[in-house]
Amino acid sequence: MRRLRPYSLPYLLWMGVFILIPTLILIVLGFSNLQLYNLGVFEITLVNFTIFIQDQVVSALWNSLVYSIITTVICFIIGYPVAYYLSTLSDKKRKILLAMMIVPLWSNMLLRIIAWEKLFMPTSIISDLFGISFDLLGTPTGVLIGMVAMYLPFMVFPIFSVLEKMDYKLIEAAKDLGASDLQTFVKVTFPLSSGGVISGVIMTMLPAMTSFVLPARIGLGKINLIGNIIESKFMKEVLGSSGASINQGALISLLLMVLSVISFVLITRVDKEGETLI
Amino acid sequence: MGKKLIIMSHVSKRFGDQLVLDDFNLYINENEFITLLGPSGCGKTTCLRILGGFETCDEGTIEFDGKIINDLEPNQREINTCFQKYALFPHLNVFDNIAFGLKIKKLDKETIHERVMNILTMVKLTGYENRAVSTLSGGQQQRVAIARALINRPKVLLLDEPLAALDLKLRQEMQYELKEMQRELGITFIYVTHDQEEALTMSDTIVVMNQGKILQIGTPEDIYNEPNSRFVANFIGESNILSGVMKDDYLVEFCGHEFECVDKGFKKNERVDVIIRPEDFDFVPPSKGKIVGTVDSLIFRGVHYEINIMIAGVEYTIHTTKYRKIGDRVGLSVEPNNIHIIKHIDHA
Repeated sequence: MRRLRPYSLPYLLWMGVFILIPTLILIVLGFSNLQLYNLGVFEITLVNFTIFIQDQVVSALWNSLVYSIITTVICFIIGYPVAYYLSTLSDKKRKILLAMMIVPLWSNMLLRIIAWEKLFMPTSIISDLFGISFDLLGTPTGVLIGMVAMYLPFMVFPIFSVLEKMDYKLIEAAKDLGASDLQTFVKVTFPLSSGGVISGVIMTMLPAMTSFVLPARIGLGKINLIGNIIESKFMKEVLGSSGASINQGALISLLLMVLSVISFVLITRVDKEGETLI
Repeated sequence: MGKKLIIMSHVSKRFGDQLVLDDFNLYINENEFITLLGPSGCGKTTCLRILGGFETCDEGTIEFDGKIINDLEPNQREINTCFQKYALFPHLNVFDNIAFGLKIKKLDKETIHERVMNILTMVKLTGYENRAVSTLSGGQQQRVAIARALINRPKVLLLDEPLAALDLKLRQEMQYELKEMQRELGITFIYVTHDQEEALTMSDTIVVMNQGKILQIGTPEDIYNEPNSRFVANFIGESNILSGVMKDDYLVEFCGHEFECVDKGFKKNERVDVIIRPEDFDFVPPSKGKIVGTVDSLIFRGVHYEINIMIAGVEYTIHTTKYRKIGDRVGLSVEPNNIHIIKHIDHA
């Protein structure tokens, strides 16, 4: 298969140009006072770190943490039983249910967010038809419902894929040795699915933590997550507004990137074959 | 033998259209080593799973120690299973795998520790208690599986082809050890295998099965020496199966000659099948033998030669320690009590 090697070059090149180089630029920006429109000034400095004591940023970091944790917990509580149920189904029923979860994922995320936004408006198709008004725009509940809806499949899939591959004989063995259904679950099924749970938690929590379109649209900008801060730092710089710093935006981005890399390492630790990474 | 511990009566099981167990009747004695023997797909594993509580039967009853247990869950039965591919818990070490049943019973720590250590000694795995099961060899995993199943001190241990994955030498060793264990513990072992040698070596009783039916039940000697059908004769060891005619009580004709035998009770001139084991033929000079033929092929099998002899267009297989060249003319004789006569059944 050596001969196929050259064909991997385009994407490898792509990754170099659009992942490695931008990362280097982020590092340079984050640890310096370099400005986009004035390349003459360049000094390595840690001054950008002051951003992490700004009230606005601290509260956004706190929001990111709280919202992503609550989202992850809800996704786990709802998602685990679904994953378990899926793994017990016949092939045909399982495919139908999986399709119902996967196909919506193929539609654009922004579209789905806008759909929720419409539903949460004081007057929506729901209020027209049934006289029920959700009016959840700009509320924490609205943002959380949106996040759970968006990220639930990322909790279900890794857990399902672990449970599906689990040897059913192990459950029979536990029952054979006297364990009740609950004991079998607590002592065998759940521990053996823990790899999937860890992958699921990371794959739900990380995108929830970094989401910014969803809190912007459904939260009406009242609930800022860290992604919204990064966006404003970069956008204001581009628009030339004051109070913006592309350097500070870069530094926060780097923080998120470090979190992502740590998560990736964690997932590969618990899941050596990468089977839970969809 | 003790009393009847398990009685299966008129048990039937279907998977879809396929009848896997067909009006199955069997009783199993206390302290018995009983083997269900048959080709794959004969229903032996299903039978075991019904006893373990992993399948329910469509018809019939299963009685255990005087009680009907058809509807009992696996965790309510005093029966434990040693699974085919061991089914050890990969997230637990050797100690915790074996202790599983005791922890479920919520015994205190000291008792658990003592009993696990004792059983580790029995299965010769002392010192392995903290090892991850994935680091063990097949034979060691097998021992853990047996220890785990025996720790609850069940009345019956079900074993589903437990030695199938081991190499020959280890398999023979484990056969001996399993038999020893069963004798020492006084537990009923119900063993499923397709390996006739394994069945003959270990069992008190062998149940030969095919297509969901019991063909023959008996001691290994009975089954080997007096197979009641072509299928059993072929499945248990090699056999020469010849068609013959019963001339009279104790007199059978095959190969154009009359032979004395030890069977009676057939109709005069009834068509029968004559079964002769390959090792039951003896060479005699061609002039003295009723059966005379030429050596067609010869294979050295270690303990014996396997010689094929063509006699009037029929090939006979003979196991002998005596060497004959290909093309040699030989005469064969066979003792009357080595001639086994069974009813002739077409396409059996």
